[in-house]
Amino acid sequence: MIRLSYTDRYQITRLRTLVTNIFSLAAGLVVISIIFLIAGVNPLFAISEIFQGSFGSMYGFKETITKAIPLILIGAGLTLAFRAKFWNIGAEGQMLMGAIFSTWTGLTFGDALPGFAIIPLMFAAGFLGGALWGIIPAILKIRYAINEVISTLMLNYICAHILTMLIVGPWRGATRFGFPGTDNLPDAAILSVIPGSRIHYITLILALACAAILTLAIYKTRFGYEARVVGENPDAGKYAGINFFKTTLILMAVSGGLAGLAGVGEVAGIHHYLGYPASVSSGYGFTAIIVAWLAKLNPLYTVISGIFFAGILVGGDAIQISLGLPAATVEIVNGTLLIFLIMGDYFLHNKITVSFSRT
Amino acid sequence: MKKLSLFMLIFSIVLLGFSAGAFGAEDKKIKAGFIYVGPVGDYGFSHAHDLGRKFAEEKLDWLETVYVESVSESDSDRIIDRLIQQQKCDVVFTNSFGFMDSTVKAGERYPDKIFMHCSGFKRSDNVGTYFGDLYQMYYLNGLMAGALTKTNKIGYVAAFPIPELIRHIDAYALGIKAANPEAKVHVKWIYAWYGPDKAREAAESLIAEGCDTLAFTEDTPAVIEVGQSHTEKGKQIYTFSHYSAMQPYGEDSVVSGQFMNWGGMYVKILEDIYSGNWTNEDVWWLAKEGAAILGGNETDPINPKFVDDLKQAMIQTQEFGEISAYDLVMKRYDQMKQGVDVFDPFTGPIHDNKGTLQIKAGERASKEDLLSIMYYVDNVEGTIPQ
Repeated sequence: MIRLSYTDRYQITRLRTLVTNIFSLAAGLVVISIIFLIAGVNPLFAISEIFQGSFGSMYGFKETITKAIPLILIGAGLTLAFRAKFWNIGAEGQMLMGAIFSTWTGLTFGDALPGFAIIPLMFAAGFLGGALWGIIPAILKIRYAINEVISTLMLNYICAHILTMLIVGPWRGATRFGFPGTDNLPDAAILSVIPGSRIHYITLILALACAAILTLAIYKTRFGYEARVVGENPDAGKYAGINFFKTTLILMAVSGGLAGLAGVGEVAGIHHYLGYPASVSSGYGFTAIIVAWLAKLNPLYTVISGIFFAGILVGGDAIQISLGLPAATVEIVNGTLLIFLIMGDYFLHNKITVSFSRT
Repeated sequence: MKKLSLFMLIFSIVLLGFSAGAFGAEDKKIKAGFIYVGPVGDYGFSHAHDLGRKFAEEKLDWLETVYVESVSESDSDRIIDRLIQQQKCDVVFTNSFGFMDSTVKAGERYPDKIFMHCSGFKRSDNVGTYFGDLYQMYYLNGLMAGALTKTNKIGYVAAFPIPELIRHIDAYALGIKAANPEAKVHVKWIYAWYGPDKAREAAESLIAEGCDTLAFTEDTPAVIEVGQSHTEKGKQIYTFSHYSAMQPYGEDSVVSGQFMNWGGMYVKILEDIYSGNWTNEDVWWLAKEGAAILGGNETDPINPKFVDDLKQAMIQTQEFGEISAYDLVMKRYDQMKQGVDVFDPFTGPIHDNKGTLQIKAGERASKEDLLSIMYYVDNVEGTIPQ
């Protein structure tokens, strides 16, 4: 008889993490290949098309990077909140609030100020907007013990409706002929892109810098230590005299603020005006949750997982366009890949032994 | 080393020359990319466009097409890039209003390609617009709704407060007014093109408020299903199908409806491009061009179940004297097919619901007026969300 038993793995090396991820990815690809076979498409052709469309061609790579920018920013912010076991599901709303604040700043001061003044101002405003939207659930949780999963989730909808109200009502642009949406931002308030691409590099640099700074903050500073203790051992934290209120407020301000920065990037770098929530963000705030987890809650790794996930999303285009499969296939493929990556975690933390015994 | 690279250079130039020669010798082909906002199986807008695309592909043997469905407005730039750069499309059709800015921006990026944006108002040298509008059919639906309603409360489930929707609601209300000056139109906004859950909720609440007749703009048969289920339970709710043949979802509830035949329009646009006669001028098709069609399915303009009721409902008109609702619908439909100068719903006097005269007696709204219309006519309740 074959017996499977598992024991906890205490030491998890980087090499083991890498190998586990590669194996999980491979296992996921095998299952995806079966899906493609059922759909009547040669899996090798399909997977190579997806790769071509995301990393394997200059065009695909530029798009992958463009899409990775908000994912890295939001994902890095989320790692901080998740480390403190603050389940922030509200990054989508925090991002939209950042977009709202920065659009207002851009439209109000964009004509009067030069680019080098207005752009930092917009990023500051975006950070502020996201941070404000982030600390609301923090206050609710610490002061009134309101579950943050519910409050952050609901605040997404509230923010989306505030945005809709603004663009349908008072902010509706004169140049839109009665259609909802603000006027375009003035030229000074628009982020420049790398020529021939849509990569708004200022936000990209900001995203990389934020991921690096946050990594230092989490592992090297007293605040990072406190945030981790709040999450991992709140009792010990209390005895150690950690101010839970202050720590949670700061970490949610940062987490929300980074999502707000992503909102600035999308409005000022891609769309150039504020439209309906669905046209500002294609669910980056939710996708970034997975990005943060794939990065094992290490902000620096969100750079890798953000680019990887952006690649999956962008490569998904190929499924529809080159392979002619319905749009839903994209979601099936992406979902399958993720399930396998997350399942890999189990094997990372548990050692499985197979033993044969006679009965 | 130098020799080798020189050789490679010459070799590649020769190769290039050959491939160019081969290309020139080939028959001219056009590849068109279509970007849809919804899934092609949505049974509404995107579905209708896709039928049009297939029709064009079948009819034009020099045409190759590729489509992308369920494209979020925030991703449209990327999809356009992909169709042009990777799929080498010569023409890209974008089918939702929200794609307007992306389409215009793409026109600047690819000056040698042609872009056609459906329902927008921004054009440039290589970006044109096209639209098939259904407001005339909404008027005809309104005539029937006004004739059939018992409660004199008529509901409308609407997607987004943009001129297109306001135009449809107003045309519907004008039809209702012509048949039944007592009836009022109640509007619920759901802020979604594709939102069966929200549409169902809005339809239920309109019925709860006393509406017995419903029309809508949303891309699923959700409202019809609500109407059908109430009708099956003994409370007759009249509904009007939207954009595709949705009558099979509510045989006892759907009176009529409208759908759009994009096929003819796509063929015309593509033929113009093929022959070099394309301009960026707005292509705007109505009943006359055979784009707007009355009915809840392909065969019956009016569901046979309701024909008798409509034949008995008499309406007093200036033009035809006393006439049955059925005959009036058919007469007006016929006039619309002859052209807007024969009959158009937006002919004055038309007041908005705040009492202001918007269209003077005897005048007809211009296309520009209709494209930017943002007021409710006087038998619509409430205000447009601001």
